[in-house]
Amino acid sequence: MTETSDTKNKSGWSRRRVLTTAASGLALAAASGFPMPAIAQTKKLTYWGGLIFSDDANKLLSDTITAWGAANGVETEVVMINQNETVQKVSAAVSSNTMPDALDVGLDLLLLLSRQGVFSTLDDLYKKIGDAQGGWFEGPDRASDTTAAAGGRTGIPFGVNGNLLLRRKDLLEPAGFTEAPKTWEELVTQAVAINKAPVSGLGLALSNVGDANVQVNVLQSYGGRIADDAGKKVTIKSEETRAYLTWLKDAWDKGLFAPGNTTWDGAGDNQAYLSGQVGFIANTGSVGIAAKKDDPELYDGSAFSPLPAGPKGTISPITPNLRAITKASAMQDEAKALIEHLSSPDFMNAYFNVAIYGPVLKNQQQLPAFDGSNPILTGLLGLAQAGTAPAYPDVYNSAWADFSSNFIVPKMCQRVVVDGWDFDKAMDEAQTQGQAIYDKY
Amino acid sequence: MTLAIDQERQNPKRWRLPGGFRIKLFAYALVAPVIILILALVAYPFLFAIWVSFTDQVIGSVGQFVGFKNFEYLAGTATFWSAIWNTVTIVLVSDGLKLIIGLGLALLVHQKFPGRGIFRSFLMLPWAMPAFVAFLTWRVLYQPIGGGINLILTQTGIYPQVVDWLGQRSTAMGSVIVASVWRGFPFWFVSLLAALQSVPKELYEAAIVDGANVWQRFWSVTVPGILPVIIVTTLLSSIWTANGFEHVWLLTAGGPSDATMVFPVLAFFGMQTQRIGEAAAVSVYMLPVLAILVLFATSLMMRKED
Repeated sequence: MTETSDTKNKSGWSRRRVLTTAASGLALAAASGFPMPAIAQTKKLTYWGGLIFSDDANKLLSDTITAWGAANGVETEVVMINQNETVQKVSAAVSSNTMPDALDVGLDLLLLLSRQGVFSTLDDLYKKIGDAQGGWFEGPDRASDTTAAAGGRTGIPFGVNGNLLLRRKDLLEPAGFTEAPKTWEELVTQAVAINKAPVSGLGLALSNVGDANVQVNVLQSYGGRIADDAGKKVTIKSEETRAYLTWLKDAWDKGLFAPGNTTWDGAGDNQAYLSGQVGFIANTGSVGIAAKKDDPELYDGSAFSPLPAGPKGTISPITPNLRAITKASAMQDEAKALIEHLSSPDFMNAYFNVAIYGPVLKNQQQLPAFDGSNPILTGLLGLAQAGTAPAYPDVYNSAWADFSSNFIVPKMCQRVVVDGWDFDKAMDEAQTQGQAIYDKY
Repeated sequence: MTLAIDQERQNPKRWRLPGGFRIKLFAYALVAPVIILILALVAYPFLFAIWVSFTDQVIGSVGQFVGFKNFEYLAGTATFWSAIWNTVTIVLVSDGLKLIIGLGLALLVHQKFPGRGIFRSFLMLPWAMPAFVAFLTWRVLYQPIGGGINLILTQTGIYPQVVDWLGQRSTAMGSVIVASVWRGFPFWFVSLLAALQSVPKELYEAAIVDGANVWQRFWSVTVPGILPVIIVTTLLSSIWTANGFEHVWLLTAGGPSDATMVFPVLAFFGMQTQRIGEAAAVSVYMLPVLAILVLFATSLMMRKED
C-alpha cells in the first residue's frame, strides 16, 4: 500500500512539473503561432486560375505560368479553381488572409472586393497592354473600369463572354428559315415552325439560375428597365414590361418552351440542346464546343448569331473576365509581369482556340483564332465589338448585381407562366422585391 | 540547527498538490483537447454564425452590427413565407410517410419468411446510395422527355399525357417528397425493426392468452413497446429533413416559382448573392425550432440509455 502510494507520488504532478509542462506548452504554441524566420521561407508566386470546361485551356494556362516562372526565376504555384466555387474560395481566403498573389476573377467579385481594398490598382499595366495591342474594345474597357469603386482599375480583362443565339439550322432551313431571327417576335415565329415533339421550339431557361437572366435582356430590349438612371428607384412595373410579358406568355401558351425549363439547373439548356430536344438556346458557346467534340452532326446542323432585338433594339451584354493582383501580395512586380505575359498575342491566340472567350484588345481580332473558321469565336468577336455593357441601359452597381443574383425577373416570369398570375400582380411583386433589394444600397 | 538545514537540503520536501485535486486536474487535462476541439469546431462556428446574422457582412468585409435588419428584410419577402410553409410541409408529410412505410416494412421483415435477410439488405439500398446520385437519378426519372416515370405511364396507357413533374406547381412538391421518402425510409425501417425485436415475446403470448386479436396486440403491445423509438426517430428525421438541402436543390432548386423553396436552399441563395449576413439570418431563423427538437431528441435518447 505504502509502496503504491510512493509510486504515485513519484510520478505525480508536482508544482515544478505542472509549471514545466505549462511553459513547454506555451513555448510550443508560441512557436507555431509566429512566422518562421524569413530565411526559411520560400518566395513563391501563387496564381488561382479559373477552371473552365476545357481541359486543354486549363492545361495551357497552367503550363504557361509554370514555364514563365521557370524562365524568369520565379517559383510559381498554379491552383485551378472551379469558377462556380470562386466566390466561396475567395471569401474564405480573404477572411483568413490566404489570398493568392494573383487570380482570375469575374466582374461582380472584382467590384465587390475592390471596394474592400483587396486588389492593387493596375492602371499602368492596363495602359501598357492596351497601348501595345491597338487599344481595348470599348465594351470591356467600360465594363472593367473600377475607378469609381477602387480609385483605379483593379482588373486586366483577358476575355469576354456573353450569350449567343444557337439554333438548329438543320430543322429551320427545311421549314423555310435560312436566316437567324432578327427580333424576338421572329424567334417565336421560327420556333413555332419546328415545335413538334420531341423538339420544343425554345430552350430558354425560366428557372432560378443565371441562364434565366437572359430574360432581363429581353425585357430591356422591349424598353423595360429595372431601375432609374440613378440606379436607385426600381421601375420594373411599366407598359414596356407588360409588352415583354405579353410576348413571353404568348410563346408559353403556344407550348414553345421545353418542358422542365422552369426548374432547370445551370446545365439544363445545354443538355436540352445537346440531346436534340430544343430548337433555340441562348448560350455562351460552351454548348457549341461540346457539340463539336461529342456530336459533330449536331454541330454541323447548328448556327450561331447575336441575340435578337426587341422594339427598342438589341441588348446583348458582355461579361469581361479579368486577372487581378492581391494588394497584400509581396510579389507585385512579378505578378504584373506574369499578367502582361498572359496578355501576349501568342498565348492568347492559343488560349482563344481552346477556351470560349471573345477578344478584349483590338489587335486580337487579327489573330488566327478569329479568322472566321470557327463560328463560335466569330460570334464572340461580334459580341466584343458590338455587345452592350453589363446591365445597360440600367446602371451596373451593387444593387443590380444583388437583383440579378436573386433572379427577380425569372421569378416574375414563373409567376406568370407557372402560377398563372396576371401581369400586374407579377410586376407588383417583382417591383416590391426589387425595391427592397435596391433600398439596401 | 545547521544539521537540520543540511538534512532538509539533502531530502527536500517536494511541494505537492492535494491528492484529490491532482486526480481532478489530471482528468481535466485528459479531456481538455476534446473540449478545445469542440469549442473550436462546434461552438465557435455556431456562435459566429449567430453573430454574423446580426451584421451586414459581405464577402471581404467584417460587417457592421445592424441589429434585426436582416431578419426584418427576410420576413418582408414572400419567398421567406413560402420557405416556412414548404419546410413544414416537407417535414410533416415526408416524415409521416416514412413512418408508415418504415413501420410497415419493419413489421413485415419482423416475420420469418424465406429470403428475409436478402430482402432486409435490399431495403437498405436507398440509404446506402449517396444522396447526390440518388436525387440526380430521381431527377432523370421525372424528366418530361425520356424520363422513366413518364415512359411507364404513357407506354402502359395509365396516363397518356407527358407530365412535367418538377416543372408544375401542382406536382413539384409531391415529387420532391416522394424522392425524399424513398431516400429516407430505410433509417426508419432499421430503427423500428430494432425496436420491434426488443419487445418481449412474453407480452404477445400473454395478450394471445387474454384473447387479443392481431389489431389489439399491435395497439396494446407493439405500439407502446416501440413508442420511444418512434419519438426519437421522428425528432431526428425531422431535424435532418428540415436541414436537408440536396433533395430540393438537386430536383428543383426551390422552383418552379417558389413552390419547393425551403430554408436551406434560401440560405444558399443568400450565399450566392455574397451577402453572408442575410444567409446566416435565414439559418438562424430555423435555430429555435431545431434547437427544441435537438433538446427533445437528446433528452429522450439519454433517458433511454439510463
